[in-house]
Amino acid sequence: MRRILSSVRDGRGFDIVLVGVPFAFLFALAGLPLIYNILMSFQEVDMFSLGSVIRPFVGVDNYVALFRQPETWPILTNTLIFVVGSIAGQFVIGFGLALFFWTNFPGASWLRGLFLVSWVMPGLVVGAIWNWILSGDFGVLNFFLRESGLITANIFWRSDPSFSLWAVVIANIWLGTSFNMILLSVGLSAIPGDLYEAADMDGANAWQRFWTITLPMMRSTIGAIIALGLIFTLQQFDLFAAITDGGPNNSSNVAQYWAWDLSFRQYDFGRGATISVIMTVFVMFAAAVYVRSTRHEVRG
Amino acid sequence: MGIRKYSIAIALALTCASLVGIQAKAEDVKLTLWSLDRDIQPAPNLIKEFNEQKNGIQIEYRQIQFDDVVSEAMRAFSTGKAPDIIAIDNPNHAMFASRDAFLDLTDMIEKSSVIKPENYFPGPLKSATWDEKYYGVPKATNTIALYYNKDLFKAAGLDPTKPPQTWDELVETARKLNDPSKNVYGITFSAKANEEGTFQFLPWAQMGGAGYKTINGEGAVRALTIWKQLFDEKLTSPDTLTRSQWDATATFNAGNAAMAISGPWEIDRMLTDAKFEWGTALLPVPQEGAQRSSAMGDYNWAIFSSTKHPEEAFKALEFFASKDATMYKDFGQLPARADLPVPPTGNAVKDAALATFLEQMKYAQPRGPSPEWPKISKAIQDAIQAALTGQMEPKAALDQAAEKIKSIEG
Repeated sequence: MRRILSSVRDGRGFDIVLVGVPFAFLFALAGLPLIYNILMSFQEVDMFSLGSVIRPFVGVDNYVALFRQPETWPILTNTLIFVVGSIAGQFVIGFGLALFFWTNFPGASWLRGLFLVSWVMPGLVVGAIWNWILSGDFGVLNFFLRESGLITANIFWRSDPSFSLWAVVIANIWLGTSFNMILLSVGLSAIPGDLYEAADMDGANAWQRFWTITLPMMRSTIGAIIALGLIFTLQQFDLFAAITDGGPNNSSNVAQYWAWDLSFRQYDFGRGATISVIMTVFVMFAAAVYVRSTRHEVRG
Repeated sequence: MGIRKYSIAIALALTCASLVGIQAKAEDVKLTLWSLDRDIQPAPNLIKEFNEQKNGIQIEYRQIQFDDVVSEAMRAFSTGKAPDIIAIDNPNHAMFASRDAFLDLTDMIEKSSVIKPENYFPGPLKSATWDEKYYGVPKATNTIALYYNKDLFKAAGLDPTKPPQTWDELVETARKLNDPSKNVYGITFSAKANEEGTFQFLPWAQMGGAGYKTINGEGAVRALTIWKQLFDEKLTSPDTLTRSQWDATATFNAGNAAMAISGPWEIDRMLTDAKFEWGTALLPVPQEGAQRSSAMGDYNWAIFSSTKHPEEAFKALEFFASKDATMYKDFGQLPARADLPVPPTGNAVKDAALATFLEQMKYAQPRGPSPEWPKISKAIQDAIQAALTGQMEPKAALDQAAEKIKSIEG
């Protein structure tokens, strides 16, 4: 008894407790719902069985039925475009801004802080504002594009099937850029200055310094940002609800919005869970890539 | 230490239990009621009045957000925690009624001196009916009709006392009113990818002799072709595809659309926002003399079959129905009653609009009723949007919808 107690106080037991508490927490709040969700995707769920765990088992019927729907592949493709487009935009603009503020001109840190305002705003508010900006007839974006001579006729960002998905991507890039910028700024400031001094002495130009010092030193930060970006874009829901509702004709519908639509608008909980499982598989794949890419990282 | 702690806990538990016991004995029959009404809307106010009667029944109110009503109700029912009474959106009524989650009220209504089926508009009543039995009572109702800008009519040389009567006239009028140089579209409505799109399109299909079971019928195809024409000729904003009815009518109020199709919920805002003379008309029909139809919205009262106090719950519904006469005056919602005139409000424009909506109400038809309504509605929305964006021909889009609906209904 005493040995166990002392081990808990200082020893292996202490380690186990330290690991066990967060593990139990994670399992209860993330693991169980995940398992429940996977279970649900193999069951027939209706309003009477919503409250029970044991339900008629239908095997892969939900999956088969889902992929038989004509809109499934287009929606999955949309999801891919949305994720890649959003992350690329957020990252490139975010990195550009981070490098810009890194030059440390007067007031740089103030301005950098102000940029976070966009990240703090609730998605539905951002969505409602972009809804106006992107409006076809009297939207501000169309006004600027027209005045600058880039377009002659209004673009109906929300209602034209070839633009609707990009309308949400644009809004999402705006929403996520500042977060990328802040994390990348932190990464940049962690690079020791003497590396650049040494490179300078060796006669490296700005471009060479960027490619051979900045980027390699930022590797883990960039990996983390892209992994986080993937998670944030895959859970982006508010913007779709506020701007396009997934329309017109599913042209801006993505997996996460569709899962909600199936579960809470069409009350087909089984199929909604099925989409969530498919999304989970993709996220796990991306997470594995992320872990692999940062495995050889020198830590310290 | 352990024993002392336990004894305290036990003592506490006992006290609580006895307190609850005493309270329950002294108290009346307790009912719970869920609805999405806010403090200025009927449910909480009617409940307050009801509770003040102190007739041995007390109702406890819980407000639920619009998006959560059905899923909350399902979850509660499946875990045996359903409320006694709920206000449910009418197209969702059949889903619960068909599975006997709602109580069959037919016998109680037969004996009731307050709730009489013949007093209700047929559309709302049908939405609360399943298998020829009454599973609820209409709470309030609304429908859609045509709003038009009389000033723009005059400016275009049209007679402001003669709004369009048929579909062809509607298109023709929209063409005349359409003025891109002044940012004025001929007409606005909502073809959004949610229930609102179905809500607006279904009446057109029904006027053309089709229905949700025959959504690819000739009349429905013609209706969708007319809608597509409005889009193709830019007589309506392309954003009609993503605007809600409320947002669409806002463009009418701002003078950017000369006509609008929407419901009576617009009247009050229009009275303050619209700086022009406007009027209302019944929805145009396919050709002169064709049958009329319109959409039907708003909620029904229903009692969950799991209730322990069906008689008392029905008494509450009777009380609510007895207040229908003053519903418009008190809350600005139309009662689903054909026998009650809406009293004049003292505002001629408003009264004229209300008269149009009451007339239109006679032709309003429910969506469904079908237990699978949300999926059927989604099939219709997809068809509308596929056709209007030019990705499919109206006929092909509706054929596909009909195919989907057939497989949904089994």
